[in-house]
Amino acid sequence: MIANILDGIVLGLQFGLLAVGLTLVYGLGGVLNLAHGQMAVAAAMVVALAQAAGLPIWLAAGLGLLAGGLMGLILDLTILRPVYRLRGEARVLLSLLLTLGVSFTVEGFLNWRYALGALSLRIGGGAVEILGVPMRRGSLAASAITLATFAALFLFFRYTSLGRAVRSVIEDQEGARLVGIYPHRMLRLILVLSGVLAALVAITRAMVTPIDVHSGLSITTFALIVTVVGGLGNVAGALLAGLILGIVNAVAADLIGTYISLIILLGAAALTILTRPAGLLGVRE
Amino acid sequence: MLEVAGFSAGYQGNDVLHAVAFRVDAGEAVMIIGSNGAGKTTLFRAMCGLLSPSAGQVRFEGNDITRLPAERIARLGLRFVSAERHLFPRMTVQENLLLGAYPHRPDPQTLSTVLELFPRLAERRRQHAGTMSGGEQQMLAVGRALMSKPRLLVLDEPSTGLAPLLAQATYKALRVLRKQGLTVLVAEQQVPLAMAFSDRGYVLENGFIRLQGTTAELAAHPGIRSAYLGVT
Amino acid sequence: MSDRPTHSAGAFSLGGVEAHASRSLPRLLLPIAAVGAGLALLPLWLGHSRVLMGVAVLGLAYVCYTIAFNVIFGSTGQLFLCVGALAGIGGYGGAILADSAGWPIAASILAATLAATLTGGLLSFVAVRRSLGVIFTGIITLIFSLSFDALVLGLGELTGGDTGRLITSGAGTLLRDKIPPYYLMLALALLFLLVHGLLRRSHVGWAFRALRDDEVAAELAGVDVARYRVYAALVGAAMLGLAGSTYAFTEGRISPTTFGFGEVDIVVLVMLGFGGIGALFGPIVGAVTFTIVDEILIDFGQLRHVAYGMLIILLFLRLPRGAIPTLAGLWQRRRRPKG
Repeated sequence: MIANILDGIVLGLQFGLLAVGLTLVYGLGGVLNLAHGQMAVAAAMVVALAQAAGLPIWLAAGLGLLAGGLMGLILDLTILRPVYRLRGEARVLLSLLLTLGVSFTVEGFLNWRYALGALSLRIGGGAVEILGVPMRRGSLAASAITLATFAALFLFFRYTSLGRAVRSVIEDQEGARLVGIYPHRMLRLILVLSGVLAALVAITRAMVTPIDVHSGLSITTFALIVTVVGGLGNVAGALLAGLILGIVNAVAADLIGTYISLIILLGAAALTILTRPAGLLGVRE
Repeated sequence: MLEVAGFSAGYQGNDVLHAVAFRVDAGEAVMIIGSNGAGKTTLFRAMCGLLSPSAGQVRFEGNDITRLPAERIARLGLRFVSAERHLFPRMTVQENLLLGAYPHRPDPQTLSTVLELFPRLAERRRQHAGTMSGGEQQMLAVGRALMSKPRLLVLDEPSTGLAPLLAQATYKALRVLRKQGLTVLVAEQQVPLAMAFSDRGYVLENGFIRLQGTTAELAAHPGIRSAYLGVT
Repeated sequence: MSDRPTHSAGAFSLGGVEAHASRSLPRLLLPIAAVGAGLALLPLWLGHSRVLMGVAVLGLAYVCYTIAFNVIFGSTGQLFLCVGALAGIGGYGGAILADSAGWPIAASILAATLAATLTGGLLSFVAVRRSLGVIFTGIITLIFSLSFDALVLGLGELTGGDTGRLITSGAGTLLRDKIPPYYLMLALALLFLLVHGLLRRSHVGWAFRALRDDEVAAELAGVDVARYRVYAALVGAAMLGLAGSTYAFTEGRISPTTFGFGEVDIVVLVMLGFGGIGALFGPIVGAVTFTIVDEILIDFGQLRHVAYGMLIILLFLRLPRGAIPTLAGLWQRRRRPKG
């Protein structure tokens, strides 16, 4: 049981980080990026290719993060342009349809070009015992990196003027414009950040379990569920929802089997939408 | 400092404003008075880049700022305090104030000046803006605009939704700012409040400027006296 | 900020042009009959090949799915991302009832269709009740799709899991013949077209149009928006269940990919997007076009996904009203320069 919970926390932290990017992009720009998982997978493939080319791991990982950020930037500069001209639901709908197209394009390309490609980052050394449970070093390293990233995000949003400016656009876009903040610049910044975070999750996930080219859809799905449960546009909610759903998933998978646990997860998300549409930590406006 | 000429604007092709023209000189306090629905809010929103005007020109310190986006105009030093205030409700008072200075580093001197002007804000620095009373939110909205050391402060109905005492307190603070040399343009429905504060004024009715003059001239005008000051 | 529901400029601005619903019955029946006659001739040409007829039957199944999706999304703006799952309830439900429970085929189809209908109605009812809006409706139905996929994989002894299952009922009958399944699916497609056409002509169609154009105005004019949404979902889900179930019996085997999200929902979205969202004959144009395109692209393997992805982007970027309505609009403008 404790082992399951610990596994769930490792997974949940990564879920949470995945959702942060998605939730910020939505909160900031009303854009729902269904290509999020494929961005993560594409970044993972960049790392795998760089490694195969003989680059040291830190450089390969750096290239992966760069690729993730670049994909976010490209989305902003290309297919999201027409989305920005719309408002409200039409905007979200068009972004959803277009990024769905992107996800198919990217996934199809990766499947075609690197059908057997996978990223697996083995971290050597024996297991470390935590609360009497042996944990793999890979899981611990992944969790440490993820937690550090969350801490960095927290500091950025709380204590830097740029971070506050991003939050202000989520809270009141018109108010932000009236104090001289360019909402679109913030959105571009966050799209790049979300790409980097997706790449980071892919890299840390690969320390726990291999990431192959078919993982995109399931990554997007998990990110979407965590985002919805955490509340669209809510970073703390994403972390909390990630942890809860990660633990639920790990425990349920062990007790009743994988498929049913997925259904429980999905049911939880559906229930949240229906009972608390603003998310776990959401406040009704 | 600010010149508006031939300015028309509206929603979905229907103009609410018709060829409005007025000016504000440096150091002045100017009011635009008119009843509810006269077009004051539309005028300010179009002037400050939140709404695209259909005709006309706005010049600010010699530069044409017509149709610039609101964020550009805000950075030029023309700060708009909307009647809806548009604060950041789930951020603290302190954070709201610091954002007022964006993108520059907040000046501690300015911050302490603002907190002196509105001691209530100093008491509530750690509180979320959304949990404050209407009067406090109005102070915060003005305070946030002041953090950028604006060249011109534009206020839309600062007395909206406030109890009379609080509305008077707001104008008291504005008078202090005037004494420090700030140029202020205010739209107001509660005409006596605005008159006690302004040097000059314009009367906006159904989207047209009907009258203009010094505050004394307007106060003596029989039409104004009956329509806005309740004197018969 | 952006989850605020917007009205005239809302989700519906993405929709296609609503062709003017004709008042006279012949003007509805004639084009449907023409489409039917045209498609009925196809076996004369392809009837020699079992493979190509199989492709044609699948194409008609997609016509049916797309019409159903058009009724739900095109007419009332409910983004149902569970087209495959609802059809799958029909397909798997029918197969399980007929094979495992020993029901007659017709009764199995009927019961499975009913199950799909009620599921679709329930989804719509919940979405409308909680005023979810197009995005959350999309997410909820997507979640439902994924749950259905997980269920199909999890209930391996009933569904055959990953590899799918054979359907023994109906083997050796006309249902598995070369040509009859084609006419059966064609009959369904024409029936669905007729139902959709009649719906648009009736006061229901008037309400659909009103709430597509401006939901708030429709509500003010006394249209019970919520009720018509649920009606549309019931009708569309019934179509999906019936088509999915019938197709499964003619095919003789089903697997998760028969009703998968990527295989059905995405394709249906492309087909409707191409044919024109909301246009009565959009699904025919879109589904026929893409069945042919798909046949051509079949040798490209994974690149097919790339092609679909790019088509989605291109369609919704450049021709948000649908390729056919856009072209039709250009043609009309050329013929009548003053409009």
